Amino acid sequence: MKFGNYRKLLPKIVVGLLIALIFILPVFTTSLVTLSKFVQIGFWAIAAMGFMLIMRTGQISLGQATFMGLGGYTSAVFMVKFGLPFWPGFFMAGIVAGLVALAVGVVAVRAGPIAFSIITLALAEIMRIIAVSWEPVTNGSKGLVITPPTHIMLGNFEINFATSAVPNYYFIVILVAITALIFWQIDRGRLGGIFRVIAVNPTLAEHQGIPLTKFKVLAFTVAAVFTGFAGSFYAHFLGVMSPDMYGLWQSIQALMMGIVGGISSLVAGPIVGAAVLNSLSDILSRLPVYSIKPTLFGAIVLLVLLFLPKGTGLIDLWRIFWSKVYKEKPITTDNTH
Amino acid sequence: MPPAGILVDGLVQSCIYMTMAFGMVLVFSILGILNWTHGQFYMLGAFVVYYAVTAAGIPFPISILISGGVIGGLGMLVGRYVIERVNVPGLGLLYVTAATVALNFFFEGGAGMAFGLEDKGLYNALPGVLDLGSFSVSYQKIAVVIFTLVIMVAMYVVLNFTKIGLAIRAAAQEPGAASLYGVSVGRLSIIVMGIGCALAGMAGAIMAPVYGVNPFIGGLPLIMALLAIIIGGIGSLTGAIVGGLILGLFSSIVPYYLGYISELALFLTVITLLIVRPQGLFGVPIRR
Amino acid sequence: MPLLELKGVTKLFGKLAALEDIDLCVQEGEVLGICGPNGSGKTTLINVISGYYRPNRGTVYLEGKKISGLRPDQVTARGIARTFQSNMCFHRATVLQSMLIGSFLQDKTNEWQAFFETKTYKERRKKIAAEVLETLKLLDLTNEANMPAAGLPHGHQRIFGMAMALMTNPNVLLLDEPTTGMNHNEAVFVVDQIKKINERGITVILIEHNMKVLLDAATRAVVLNFGTKIAEGKPREVMKNHDVIEAYLGTETV
Repeated sequence: MKFGNYRKLLPKIVVGLLIALIFILPVFTTSLVTLSKFVQIGFWAIAAMGFMLIMRTGQISLGQATFMGLGGYTSAVFMVKFGLPFWPGFFMAGIVAGLVALAVGVVAVRAGPIAFSIITLALAEIMRIIAVSWEPVTNGSKGLVITPPTHIMLGNFEINFATSAVPNYYFIVILVAITALIFWQIDRGRLGGIFRVIAVNPTLAEHQGIPLTKFKVLAFTVAAVFTGFAGSFYAHFLGVMSPDMYGLWQSIQALMMGIVGGISSLVAGPIVGAAVLNSLSDILSRLPVYSIKPTLFGAIVLLVLLFLPKGTGLIDLWRIFWSKVYKEKPITTDNTH
Repeated sequence: MPPAGILVDGLVQSCIYMTMAFGMVLVFSILGILNWTHGQFYMLGAFVVYYAVTAAGIPFPISILISGGVIGGLGMLVGRYVIERVNVPGLGLLYVTAATVALNFFFEGGAGMAFGLEDKGLYNALPGVLDLGSFSVSYQKIAVVIFTLVIMVAMYVVLNFTKIGLAIRAAAQEPGAASLYGVSVGRLSIIVMGIGCALAGMAGAIMAPVYGVNPFIGGLPLIMALLAIIIGGIGSLTGAIVGGLILGLFSSIVPYYLGYISELALFLTVITLLIVRPQGLFGVPIRR
Repeated sequence: MPLLELKGVTKLFGKLAALEDIDLCVQEGEVLGICGPNGSGKTTLINVISGYYRPNRGTVYLEGKKISGLRPDQVTARGIARTFQSNMCFHRATVLQSMLIGSFLQDKTNEWQAFFETKTYKERRKKIAAEVLETLKLLDLTNEANMPAAGLPHGHQRIFGMAMALMTNPNVLLLDEPTTGMNHNEAVFVVDQIKKINERGITVILIEHNMKVLLDAATRAVVLNFGTKIAEGKPREVMKNHDVIEAYLGTETV
């Protein structure tokens, strides 16, 4: 066998080991703090992946927070007001998020890319206002207290979400994995190609028969559904849902995680970006001054945008690193297939 | 017919949203981008005027002009060293959006760190009210309306009767042709950025006595300016003015009747408008 | 009944009439040449037919049915494809990749089949890939299949544009100045291709500045000037028309 066949294997082995490590982490630690961190990162990773999927069609959504909140509230309301157990509420969260995205998306996409950003931004704000005002359903600013998912019985083995962080950890790992796999398959499949050409040359794409609005709305809706699922689970994990949890700042964080990960990456980038920015956020929270978090975050993002080569993120740095190790040209940042 | 006080408040808000939207559209027509930190220029303008009046004892009207100058200058710096650097072909929309949004939080948080979070208030800058029989209007609010009228007239004159105004209009319509005629679109962009941000700064300044001075006052004007732009049509200066007018009156009158669901009503109205007319009232149709 | 018909089509940009009251019939199977000085409205005409512009007045009919007001993707789905005057391509995609995605209309499998890569989907993709390769062979682009389309020499990019249009399986092909910037041999090649395409039953509307090409390829010609039709008829006759010659005075002629 040619030695060359083994060359590209090393980075894949590293990644494979990391993934394996993630799956067996609870063997090494069941600390609530550590596992909670991972749950948080996983939740944000899905939201960031959603943002990147929408970006694939050339649009910038400032409304990912809307669907995080919608997912959380749908689930919470179904549990608290209608007494439903976890799973129906969970699936309704995705459906509701998808329907809202569909309804608003059609209007927002047709109004142009700039109006799209503005409307998605306004959407997050509207969600917050509805949550505050619609007291009979959402309990207003007091918020809703939610119980964790009901336990699952596997034979004699009980999976209890309330007493241990481990089931929650695995839930989010599986959710992230499913989302990642689906998004990855979309990206490398026909749909991914369609999304990309819509972004780079919409006029040509149109004249080849591709309906632009339909696919842009599709990306927006798919992103919303998965973000809704994530929001739903995370709400149950936190145990509480209140109007101030998801607003413009949260939407922006999803955007920033995508950028930090790298524009070219739909799946790995947002995951890495979520990990980095969540950790950074934790460090900043320990600082005494109240306003320092948005200030420093803004400064850091600004510096990254100004001084790193355009479009480059952590995933690109990873690729460049390995190409230097193997002394060959890196794969271009646009992996069309 | 709602009480006169509500109408006056609506008018005052219209003036501010108009001015903010106008500044944003001006910047958009030359630089092709939306500046998501526009609201913070409003906030910083209020702070400038606050310190000018209280710490330096400069009379309020002059302080407003100083606000305009300082914030205009800041705007030019941001335009030159952030927006232009980041506005690359292809990724420009994402990067400028991300950068200006990051700046937005940087300014808001930074103001909180530098000036403190509590409301400073400048409520005595223009004390007194004008008695109009059944109701009274504070001089502060009248000043806002007069200020806006002056600005609009000034803008109209500049854009239609001065050389630089002509250059701006040319560059907005056809940047390529304009540069062929010797118009330096790059320098013009910086100047326009300065003007647009100065407008925001002065809007914040003139409103300081009305609603107070704290790091969080920039959020609402930003989102209202954005909505005004979509209502009026992206890229249209007339649209910005009309959109601001509608929005200001709407956000004052509707809550009077509908209470807390007025924001939802506003959002639904905007959505409905966009269903019927995606390009806004005065915008250019996406499909020519 | 004409295949394509324009009745009273007017397209305004502000106060400027790029097209004014155009009546045009295109018969099935013909190669209609359109010429005229710069700015006479030729590309605007194509833009109106393809749905990129909506006419301010008048209507465009395809087989008797109104198509003006439809979106470009809808017009293309009804069998009208076009090329562009400037070289349009998908940034960073290779010729092959571009044409595979450009075959969107031929790939009738739905999104679920595509996502799960079912057998039906894979077979359809194989068929499309075969058609793409055949088109590439026909247009002599096979060697460049795996090169970025944006990096091709100019003449090949123009031909690539035609290849992309052909992947939509059109009945009508609108070519916007396909031979600009080409040398004589390339232009002759393009004319041959147009004839071959026409023989397959595709109606062609051809905008051309190059009179030799027009005379060779077109079965009928229409001349535009300042947005109006000033002459119509057999190419040779139209060229001798007094008004046509006057319109071209001062610009490039045969």
